[in-house]
Parts: sequence; structure tokens; C-alpha cells
Amino acid sequence: MGFQGLQTMQTKPNAGLFKRNPPIAGEAEAIERAKNGDADAFSKLYALHKRRVYTLCLRMLGNVSEAEDMTQEAFLHLFRKLGSFRGESAFSTWLHRLTVNLVLMHLRKKGLQLVSLEETINPSEEDAPKRDFGSRDTQLAGSVDRVTLERAVASLPPGYRMVFVLHDVEGFEHNEIATMLECSTGNSKSQLHKARLKLRELLRYPDQLPEAESSREVVQ
Amino acid sequence: MSDLSKIDFNSMTVAEFEQYLPELFASGGSGRLSEDPRLARFLAANPDCAALVRDLETIAETAKNLFVPDQEPSDEVWTNIEKKLKQ
Repeated sequence: MGFQGLQTMQTKPNAGLFKRNPPIAGEAEAIERAKNGDADAFSKLYALHKRRVYTLCLRMLGNVSEAEDMTQEAFLHLFRKLGSFRGESAFSTWLHRLTVNLVLMHLRKKGLQLVSLEETINPSEEDAPKRDFGSRDTQLAGSVDRVTLERAVASLPPGYRMVFVLHDVEGFEHNEIATMLECSTGNSKSQLHKARLKLRELLRYPDQLPEAESSREVVQ
Repeated sequence: MSDLSKIDFNSMTVAEFEQYLPELFASGGSGRLSEDPRLARFLAANPDCAALVRDLETIAETAKNLFVPDQEPSDEVWTNIEKKLKQ
């Protein structure tokens, strides 16, 4: 896989992400040692971040095999690019941006035209949220548990899922998502709203949700 | 997207509310839209819209819990990485 043209986004640090990515004990030292080619230090970075990177890939791709491949690619890319990490954002934030960009590049190669958000991220008529979203029929009965939401997210059309995962789960801002997906911030906001409306519909009937591929994974 | 500064929140219709909603959520920051004083009168008069806002807030808040990972890649991933790094 070529990495020409792949860039880690240089946006202003996101305070929310810093908050959600507190420094990990021993991470800074491992980064510095890994930059100098220390294999054990890189192994430590992998151990610290493999779950977050893998989970992100799995949510974006919805496929275990592809998620593992992209996790591998992300850490290989990290190894090559680590020297350019200057600590302007939390390391995990930087690593996540790198991972998201790799996954998006992978999807573009597969033919998912994320560039043309209006056409391809917008799902078909039957996948789109229904217009009567204010009616009582679509209201949630109460709280939503994590597992059910995970299954509902996995059921979203790919474009909706992408924007929802990036914004509501990963905490990226609309302007960052717009840059990553090469769309307008307005479109990112609109897609997120449609994704939440679609989730609301799906969560009304949790028994009908298919089991998410990620939930079939056994945590080792 | 809609320009929120031009909206009369007290006289807007449900259709207008639907139109403004993505921007209202996006501009809300970490605050809850259901507690936005500008919308208090409208939401009180339109319980279905109030329920919609509450549901979408619930979904967004629960999504934050998904940030903590609960999945792990197979050992093969690290084996492959090590192999490639040695090449």
C-alpha cells in the first residue's frame, strides 16, 4: 500500500479530544524511545493503543478481517511517521486521525466515493430516516444501552455510520470531518442529524437489530 | 445550513424546527438543546418535538460510552507487524 499523499491533519487541537485522551503513564517515554528505533517501546505503544485503533477500524469498516488489516496498516504507518509527531495534540488523537485517513483511503480504493458525499454517503430512499420523525411511533421508550446502540450503529448505512462514529463516538468536530471526508461542514452536520434520526428509528425495535460483527468478537 | 441568528424561535413552525435542528444541535456545544431557553416555549407547545430532541440527545450521550474500546485484534496482527518491520 502506498502512503504518498496521505497527510495527518494539522488542525487546531480539539479540547474535547484532549479531555477524552488523557496522557497514559509511560506513553511519552515510549514515544521518544520508539522514535529512536527501540522495538520494545514500539511494542508498548501497540499494546497501549491496539484496542482503540482496532475498535475504530471495526466500527468504520464493519468487518473483522478488514479491521485487522487496517489496524496492521495503521501501526506500520505509525512506525514510519512517528518521527513527525511533535506533541501538538494528544498522541492518541494524532494516531486516530492517521487511522481514520488510512481507512478512508482504503474505502476510496474500494470504490466507496466518499468524495461525493451527496451521492454516495446519502443512502437509498429506504435507508433514509422517515419524515414523520416527530410522531409518537418513532419515540424511544427510555434510555439506550451501549450494546444495543453498538448494534444499531452497525446497521446504519455506511455514510451515516462514518459521520456518526467520527463525531459522536470519536469526538471529531464537523470541520475536521468535513476535511477528512472532503465535504462541507453543513453536509457533515446534516448527515450526522440523519444518522441520529435513523438510529432513533432502529432503536425503537432493538429485537430486530442484527447482531453486530464487532459484538461477535471474543475479547481475549 | 440555517442562519440561527435570523430565527424567531417563538413563532417557528414544526417544519422550520425540523429544518433548523441539525444546526441547532451543531451549535449547542456541550449544552443540552432540551434545556436551551430559546426553545423552551416551542418545545413546551410541541411535545413530539421535545421528545425528538430528548431522544437525539440520549443517542448522542450514549455514543460517548462507545469511545472506550471493548474489542481487541487477534495476536496475528502484531505477529504480522513485527514480521513486516523486520523486513
